[in-house]
Amino acid sequence: LAQKTGLQPADETALIRAAQQGDKDAFEQLVRVYDQSVLRLAMNLLRSPDDAQDVYQEAFLRVYRSLNNFRFDCSFHTWLYRIVTNLCLDQMRKRKTRKEESAALAAGEGELNRMDVLAEERVEGDPQRNLMSREIGQRVNHVLGGLSPRERMVFELRHYQGLRLRRIGEILGTTEEAAKNCLFRATQKMRAALGDLV
Amino acid sequence: MSDTACDKVQSQLGLYLYGELTFDEEERVETHVESCAGCAAALEKEREFHAALDKAENQTSPSLLWESRQNLRDRLELEPQPESAAVLGWWSRFVSSIRPVGGFDGAWMRPAGALALVALGFFGSRLVPSGSMLGGLTSMGITGPQTSRVRFIEPADNGRIQIVLDETRQRTITGELTDQEIRGLLMSAAKDPSDPGLRAETMSLLNADAKSADIRGVLLYALRHDQNAGVRLKALESLRPFANDSEVRTALTEVLLNDNNPGLRAQAIDLLTQDSDDIDRQVIGVLQELMNRESNAYVRQRSQRLLEAVNASAEIY
Repeated sequence: LAQKTGLQPADETALIRAAQQGDKDAFEQLVRVYDQSVLRLAMNLLRSPDDAQDVYQEAFLRVYRSLNNFRFDCSFHTWLYRIVTNLCLDQMRKRKTRKEESAALAAGEGELNRMDVLAEERVEGDPQRNLMSREIGQRVNHVLGGLSPRERMVFELRHYQGLRLRRIGEILGTTEEAAKNCLFRATQKMRAALGDLV
Repeated sequence: MSDTACDKVQSQLGLYLYGELTFDEEERVETHVESCAGCAAALEKEREFHAALDKAENQTSPSLLWESRQNLRDRLELEPQPESAAVLGWWSRFVSSIRPVGGFDGAWMRPAGALALVALGFFGSRLVPSGSMLGGLTSMGITGPQTSRVRFIEPADNGRIQIVLDETRQRTITGELTDQEIRGLLMSAAKDPSDPGLRAETMSLLNADAKSADIRGVLLYALRHDQNAGVRLKALESLRPFANDSEVRTALTEVLLNDNNPGLRAQAIDLLTQDSDDIDRQVIGVLQELMNRESNAYVRQRSQRLLEAVNASAEIY
């Protein structure tokens, strides 16, 4: 993780301690270490820039307010991600049904469509491949909407955030085995949805 | 190969690619795949499946990240300092300063610690908040927000006490940006190292007279050197109307090549190339260099499109 964030554990501890003593610059530096991946996670899960920004802000505000209660019993990353994943799960549960979510996506404006991003990212390349990518993206979107919030969370954390299942278990307050089962179910559903395209 | 063995291996291929199998399980999968064409094909298909999922990942835009950071910063400005933070600050430093170190039991330090506490109480009582201390002194004409420190105490005649205070008072002044005093104070606030919020606000106010060389100099300095990305962005916004000015363009190319904030680089490239029919050679060179070093997808893509638009190579020579 240190390699990923470019921050040595000792540096991170120093930053946390400085932030605990009221150093706002240290807090800001700490935010910068993790905030891109926090925003990406919230965006992937909620697929709405407004909701992702709300989660981002609320998560770091909670960290700011309760940083003095952080006692280094776990890594800061795990502690932060517990807050972020809880906020995202709450938000996803509020949306309740896949139908509501699809309606929100269809409403278009302000909502993110993964395929718009894909199209933007991959303007070059042959049209056949773009068409295939579009189709895969649409299927991925569709099947993600059908996963349970926890399945989706585990999948996002493992596949896109690259976290180990053991750490995912720590973050979500479950065992590595339970996280593994969740990931297995999620990928089975994804595979079934994309089976004829890959 | 038995169907049972193949079924078991194929059910583990996903976790195998995630690196989540135990060492023994991984060994079994690899040994099996080496000698089973069906499972080798299944593994290849699993890899394609993972690659397809990779492609469907969201990229958050730099502007969304920038906006989120800015909103958080604004929100934190309103947030009171967590109460325990200030206490923890000096207290933990004090405690750690008298805590036993290494192999020493630290017993000899305890009297020193106790003495330090007494001294702290004594000097602490000399540092008084203005409100509590000055409540009875309004007859001396001290009004308005201020901070006070007891500098000197001595007995005076008739059993009275004479106290000398050091005071810092707030003063409010208003005026136009053209007033020299206002202008001088803004110039000074623009470089106040302790308060990025103040610097950002100053950048916005200086916007009104960015055509003046002195103010533009301050904005350019902030754009190039301010530690805070929010302040740099405010400076860039104030310089926006002067995007064709050669010094501003030079500063923008520096931002594009050197600023660590992708949101700022995205703004800089937009400003430098807002007139895509008339992109100068200097900018083309910068865009070509960007293709080699830029990590941000939006900036790279915009750069590539612009180079294509002017029929320039995306390679650097």
